[in-house]
Amino acid sequence: MTSEVKKRETNTLPRFSPNTDIIEQQDGFHIYMDMPGVAKENLIIDLKENDLEIKAKANYPRMEGVSNIHLEFGDCEYNRSFTISDVVDRENIKASMRNGVLEMFLPKAEKAKPRKIQIQAG
Amino acid sequence: MVIDFSSFYNLPRQLDRFFDETWRPSTISQRRNAYPPVNISEDKSNIYVFSEIPGVDIEDIDITLSDGSLVIKGNRKHGTGSYYRQERPTGLFQRVVNLNVPINLDKVNAKMKDGILEVVIPKADEAIPRKISIKAE
Repeated sequence: MTSEVKKRETNTLPRFSPNTDIIEQQDGFHIYMDMPGVAKENLIIDLKENDLEIKAKANYPRMEGVSNIHLEFGDCEYNRSFTISDVVDRENIKASMRNGVLEMFLPKAEKAKPRKIQIQAG
Repeated sequence: MVIDFSSFYNLPRQLDRFFDETWRPSTISQRRNAYPPVNISEDKSNIYVFSEIPGVDIEDIDITLSDGSLVIKGNRKHGTGSYYRQERPTGLFQRVVNLNVPINLDKVNAKMKDGILEVVIPKADEAIPRKISIKAE
């Protein structure tokens, strides 16, 4: 299951499962997650055995003395987890946050890379 | 290679989605059915427009003010490779916000942080409410 959205009664913040792209390229897998409003400090990435869990909190600056005319988004929590296979080189997973998008790079382990096999003419 | 063990139509997730959309928190007054979502606030002298546009640089967003409306335009690009999952929207988007007050065009300010666009539009002087003191005779 990619995204078990667990609901906690004690927590009042709405919880969303962020929109995610998973792309395979020659060198590995790229995961992009839309998490607007999340600063680097509010992001937790956990890798436990085969489970990669991403948790984040989006906080929007509160403005004093304004009247809200129209609201379509607000403070929220993001939560999503993935199962990764042995093909991924766990030691070298990289993550970066840019413009509200979390970008993770999961390189393929050396042994999983496609290799051309030389055929020797005998 | 399997990175994602779920079926293509992930029913529990779909259901969660549905309920998320239906019972939105009471702080959010309107459902999002247009892209990108915007928040609009105002105080006496300014109108503040916030918009969630993750993954787009401010240089790639086109903000125009014309005839009392603010137009936010842009393009979300997608990567190349073989997709295992694609949920993030891509392509051109546009959102129009109508402003019903005269504005001061020269002092409009826009910035982007963590995927949130913030546009501050100062109201024109004539739109700012002013107290008029009445002299008692």
